[in-house]
This record gives sequence, C-alpha cells and structure tokens, in this order.
Amino acid sequence: MSSAWFQIISLCRKEWRVVMDTPLGYVMAIAFLIVCGFFFESNLFLIGQADMRGWFSILSLLLMFFIPAMAMRMLADEKRSGTFELLATMPITTMSIVWGKYLALWVQVVVLLALTLLYPLTLSWLGNLDVGQVLASYFAAVLLASSYAAVCLYASAITRYEVVAYVLGFVMLLLVFLLSKAMPTFSPAVQDWLVLLSPLAHYQSMLRGLIRLSDVMFFIAMSGLFLSLTWFELERRRWR
Amino acid sequence: MIQADKLSRLYGEKYAVRDLSFHVRRGEVMGLLGPNGAGKSTTMKMLTCFLPPSSGTASMDGIDIQQDLEVRRQVGYLPEHAPSYSDLNVHGHLSFMGRMYGIPEATLNDKIREMSVACGLEGRLNQRIDELSKGYRQRVGLAASMLHNPDCLILDEPTTGLDPNQMVEIRQLIRHLGEKKTVLLSSHVLSEVDAVCDRMMIIDGGELRALGTRDELIARSSSGLRLDVCMRGDADAVVAAICKQYEGCEVDMHTVEESEVTKLIFRHSDDSIALAESVFSAVVAVGGVLLEMHAQETSLEDVFHRLTGRAL
Repeated sequence: MSSAWFQIISLCRKEWRVVMDTPLGYVMAIAFLIVCGFFFESNLFLIGQADMRGWFSILSLLLMFFIPAMAMRMLADEKRSGTFELLATMPITTMSIVWGKYLALWVQVVVLLALTLLYPLTLSWLGNLDVGQVLASYFAAVLLASSYAAVCLYASAITRYEVVAYVLGFVMLLLVFLLSKAMPTFSPAVQDWLVLLSPLAHYQSMLRGLIRLSDVMFFIAMSGLFLSLTWFELERRRWR
Repeated sequence: MIQADKLSRLYGEKYAVRDLSFHVRRGEVMGLLGPNGAGKSTTMKMLTCFLPPSSGTASMDGIDIQQDLEVRRQVGYLPEHAPSYSDLNVHGHLSFMGRMYGIPEATLNDKIREMSVACGLEGRLNQRIDELSKGYRQRVGLAASMLHNPDCLILDEPTTGLDPNQMVEIRQLIRHLGEKKTVLLSSHVLSEVDAVCDRMMIIDGGELRALGTRDELIARSSSGLRLDVCMRGDADAVVAAICKQYEGCEVDMHTVEESEVTKLIFRHSDDSIALAESVFSAVVAVGGVLLEMHAQETSLEDVFHRLTGRAL
C-alpha cells in the first residue's frame, strides 16, 4: 500500500475511533433505525405488500437529516479545535485529507444503510420480494448518500462551527429536494435540465430496478465536484 | 538546519512578516521573541508549510519549503495551544500521529512508550485527552511533535499552561533535544528563552529587530549606566557633587521621612565612568552613611522593551 493510501486509511480509522469511542455514532445509528423502522412498518401494514419502493423514497428524505449530522464535525471541529493546523502540517496532501474524511463518512453512511438490511430480510421471509429491485435500490441509496456526504463534507469545510455546518449541509440538500419537487412548475426546457441535474430524479429512476451508467456517473460526478470544492476550501487559506 | 531568506507573508495588503532572514544551526536552540501580533506564529506556519510565503525562501536541512511533504517529514511542530484530538485517549492520539508520519506498526508502541517517558506521560496513555489538565495536554503535543524523531523542531510557546515544575522539566527536555536537533521555539517568557536558547531573535511588526546571543543583544542595546543608592545624611550635597563631576548625569531622589533614608538613582549615558567610586567618596565627604549601592545591569526585558517599544 502506498504511503498516501496508508495515511488515508489511518485518518479514516481515527475518525472511526472517535465515532466508536463517543456516544455520537450510537445515538445516530439508533435514531436512524427507529425512524427508518417507523416508516418501514407504516408502509408494510398500510400497503400489505412485500415491497420497499415507498420506503426507499422516504429514505432519500431521511438522509437529508442524518448525513449533515454525521458530517458536521468532520472538518468544522478540526478547524475550531486547532487540530487542522496539526493535520495540515503532517506529510499528507490536502486531497488525501479530503479522501480520508470522505471515506470515513462514507463508511459510516454505508454501515447505517447496511443496518436496514434487516427490513428486506424480514420482507423476504414474509412474502415474495423482488431481490434484484431491492439490491438496485440499495445501490441507488448508497450512490445518493455518497453524493450527499460529499455535499455535507463541503459544508463542514467552510465553517468552524458544527451547528452552522449542519444547517448549511441541510439547506443545500433541501434546495436540491425543493427544486426536484418544484420541477413541474418550470417550462419543459428547464425541466429537462433539472431532470438531468437532479440527484433525486436519478435516484427515482434507479429505484425502478434499472441501473443506467448515466445515473451512476451523475452521482460520481456530483461527489467529485463537491470533494473538489472541499479541497479548494481547505487550500484557500494558502492563497489569502 | 533551518535557513530563512527574506521570508515575507502578506495578509491582504498588510505584511505579517517582512524580509525575515535568519538561520538556526543543528545542535542549536533559537528563541523567537516578539509581542503579540509580531509575526512569530506566521513565521512558524510558513516554516512548517501550513502557509506559503508571499516572497522569499526557506529551507529545512537543505530542502526548500516548496517541497512541502518532504519538509513536513523532517519537522516536528507544536502549534500554539498544543491542539490534540480530545475525543481520543493519549495512546490513540499518539498512534494516529505516528501512523501519519509513517512510523512502522512494529515500532510504533515502543516509540510511544519512549516519548511518554520523556514527556512524563506514563500512566496517562489510556486517559482521554479532554480529561487531562492543560499541562498534560501540552506534554501530549510535545510528545506528538517528537514522535517521528524529526531533525528540526518548531515549538510555538511550548511551556504555556505548565506549572513551574513542569516548565523546568520541559525546558530541560528541549535543552537536551537541542544538543542534537535544530530547535526553533517562540515564547512570551523571557526567562525561558534566556534559560533554554543559545541564540534569540526579536521580531516586531513582522520585521527582525535583533538577532544574537543574550550577551550580544544586551551589549548592543545597552544605553549607559544606572546606579541605585540608599544612604542616610545630606543627599542633596551628594547629588550636587556628582552632577558637578559628571555632566549630563540624571538623578531621581526619594526620601523616606521617618527613617531619614534617601534612595537615589543615578543614570549616565557613558557606562565607562567610575560613578560608584565617586558616589562612595561623596557620601563619605558629607559625613553620611552608605546603606546600599548596586549597579543595575541591562536585562533582556530592557532590551526587548527598547527594541519593540513594548513590554511582554
């Protein structure tokens, strides 16, 4: 393993240790599972079908609340406590710092999503579950969460205060959500663009069980864009 | 060796550091003194590659600070206030630091043990950092900065928050490290710089005001002679005799009525005159009693005050 990757993994491990050594991670996981469980149960008993499409639609909304909470301390706390100076004077590039933080956040999000696998397992026991469609939906959820994580990491990089980072991250995701919901009010030409640029439109498309390369590339590009913005924000101190 | 050549850093239109040139040899401890906002921390941030200089160059053991990753490997840095990951325990923090500096896992625990002994952290390794006192956090910062055995150490106010005993221990440690490494430390405590550093530089407004050993700085900024006298008897006659003998002599006089003791402070710009002998003779001549007399030496505080126009 190259030294840059070793450092990225070390940074990721450190973040994990903070999550595991403090109540933060446990509180977040329990709250997420309670809320997800509530919506899963409601859907299951209301519809009476072994289907998770409704739950996955709500999941996109839930991620808007939980991912900013998981990301808010990532860089804001480093800046506030002064440890960013420590980190930035280690033999590690700024891009590796961004990757280490992002990887730590991504793994946390994926673990949270993995905990919800209990629901499809329950459904498959109760009835006939379309496994392929559920797997595609989980893949879509991971991609959506990855892009949300990149947005929220950027929000954490532009402030020293965790609460501000949460609000900024949430507001950015909310804007994306509101634009998607307001799509029918725009002219057809604008709608075409919005469909192309809306993560929710790509997510909904994947929930049908169809994995298109364009959808996957969109999420990767969106994550890449916000990770680059995060890098730019961290490097900006050098040019002031 | 640390070498800085016309190092400057602009914040907007304002120079935080301007044309700063100096060098610190291996086996030498250099003190960086200056009032608040003088540019000490900015200088250190440039040398540790946290901030790039606006102009000028610097190198660490011959490696230009433009090659930032190489330089960072050579340098151990303790930033101001010794920040550390307070959610981790001491061992966790030091392990993370060690891994980031590429210390192999096989030797990491030995290194941590060695540094914890050197910095007095034995028995604290499993304690969370946010439960430690400020002094111990400072030690954690010091241990972390030295963990990878760097050739150059840059310490921004390393003894802030330590109690007097801890200060002595940490100063001894820095002194010991300075025998083999290149150490640059900033401090607000003049006695600390005096005790630990081989040479020192004073900066103010981002510019270098003085650089040299303690004695060189004092000799350079010495501004004459000051003699403090305490006597009983006719002080006015003594003052008159001295002022007549030495033109330009300034005198402050204060008499304590109850004890009839007079305190006199003589100042003269020429420190080669035999002022003490003349005062002694004058007191004897007026039939007075000389209770106390000593020449005040120029202190590092005086030098600092004269060069920066401010006290620390």
